[in-house]
Amino acid sequence: MSENFEPNIVAFLCNWCSYAGADLAGTARISYPPNVKVIRVMCSGRMNPSFVINALQQGADGVLISGCHPGECHYMEGNYIARRRFTLIKKLMEYIGIEPERFRVSWVSASEGEKFKNVIAEVTEDIRKIGQMKQLKREV
Amino acid sequence: MRNIQKIIKDGARKAVARDDVKYVLGWTPGYGFRVSPFFARTAEDTERLIFSPLCANNLTIYLTLQEKLPLPKAAALDKRKIALFVKGCDSRAVIQLIAERGISRDELVILGVPCGGVIDISKLEAKFPQAIKVEAVEEGEKLSLKVDGKSQEIPKEDILLKKCSLCEYPNPLIYDVLLGEEKQKKTKDYQGISTFEEKSPNEKWTYWGDKFARCIRCYACRNICPLCYCDSCILDKLSPQWIRRSVNLSENTVFQLLRTFHLTGRCIGCGECERACPMGIPVGELNRKLEKDVRELFAYEPGIDIEEKSLLSQFKPEDSEDFIL
Ligand code: SF4
Ligand code: SF4
Ligand code: FES
Repeated sequence: MSENFEPNIVAFLCNWCSYAGADLAGTARISYPPNVKVIRVMCSGRMNPSFVINALQQGADGVLISGCHPGECHYMEGNYIARRRFTLIKKLMEYIGIEPERFRVSWVSASEGEKFKNVIAEVTEDIRKIGQMKQLKREV
Repeated sequence: MRNIQKIIKDGARKAVARDDVKYVLGWTPGYGFRVSPFFARTAEDTERLIFSPLCANNLTIYLTLQEKLPLPKAAALDKRKIALFVKGCDSRAVIQLIAERGISRDELVILGVPCGGVIDISKLEAKFPQAIKVEAVEEGEKLSLKVDGKSQEIPKEDILLKKCSLCEYPNPLIYDVLLGEEKQKKTKDYQGISTFEEKSPNEKWTYWGDKFARCIRCYACRNICPLCYCDSCILDKLSPQWIRRSVNLSENTVFQLLRTFHLTGRCIGCGECERACPMGIPVGELNRKLEKDVRELFAYEPGIDIEEKSLLSQFKPEDSEDFIL
């Protein structure tokens, strides 16, 4: 890998838990790698797999989706329903040869600022190791 | 055993004679080894119908392709049913369509034909490149072929489509009339897929990248799929445009990822996508991969029960989530 490769990560955070968790990390002055670009979605159930794939096409080296813990979704079942989708799109991407590290999912609650930091650190490190996204990156 | 050709012609004639049937959808000989879909509207037409191991076409697609023109003033809606022939795999497409409310059960008369497997005609075309007039008759494990007057026997197993050598549902799972004798089930395994899963990302991408690079985006694989029937498809939409129209590795790959994903828990493995692809891309393998996962992870199989809810609209709290941080 090139020496100065900085991973570019897009994180889709649900409004009610993970976004608040990230906010808490901020107000508590916990520092985490600056490689993530956060996009707020109302619920992890809002995530369509095409969002993930599109981000990887447009230059993201990895995508993280984070939502409320199972059973705690603001909309009751959003994350349960989404979980099946995440599992399957991940399996499919891995089957064609996209590294498992490129697509991650986590559950982070509004009180888990520390966990949010750890997740970001882990995801960033893993992607730093495997380098740039090549398979899906758009040519122009 | 009575002659299967006679049985299916009789079945079709009875169906077309019904007042509540518009037409019978079946197979008729085409050019060379090809078989064409055929709409029989009269008793005479039904004489042209056949069933043989060359009838690979899944006719279910014509249910959703039906043209529904606006009605002229004061004209009554034609509420007559469509009668169609289905093999085992085709019947699952019909079940899945009904389960998804893509079509309603009472719009159909289903003529089931047990099937001993259909043939990969590309293998035959390689053997007989000049064939024009062909007759194929199934005789147990052999296929007896009459190519332009000359007879020949070929062991069926060598020339079957891959999905047919592993077919669990040779007998239609839904029908109004069953024409012919039930066939022996085979066992399905996902060996090829399990072996491929073991490879490294690099090896996998070398294989698939090469395949996707060949895609010319004719969309034949989508168009032929009995379960790709949305009025508005993500592939045609310009706003938002999730997939660009340029034909290159990135867009082609994304197209196949999304096509496969949209069929998760819905694809019934008829293999038509693969058969239609002019570039020989094994797109059905992607569907089989997810079919395997869906079975293993969620114990779910589409196209079996018309009351079944769709896979992705339900969940179990204990669904596996070992990859989630
Ligand atoms: S994806 Fe292919 S195998 Fe599955 S239902 Fe559609 S045409 Fe048949
Ligand atoms: S049928 Fe084959 S070439 Fe045509 S769009 Fe599908 S994969 Fe591409
Ligand atoms: S609101 Fe957080 S996952 Fe649904």
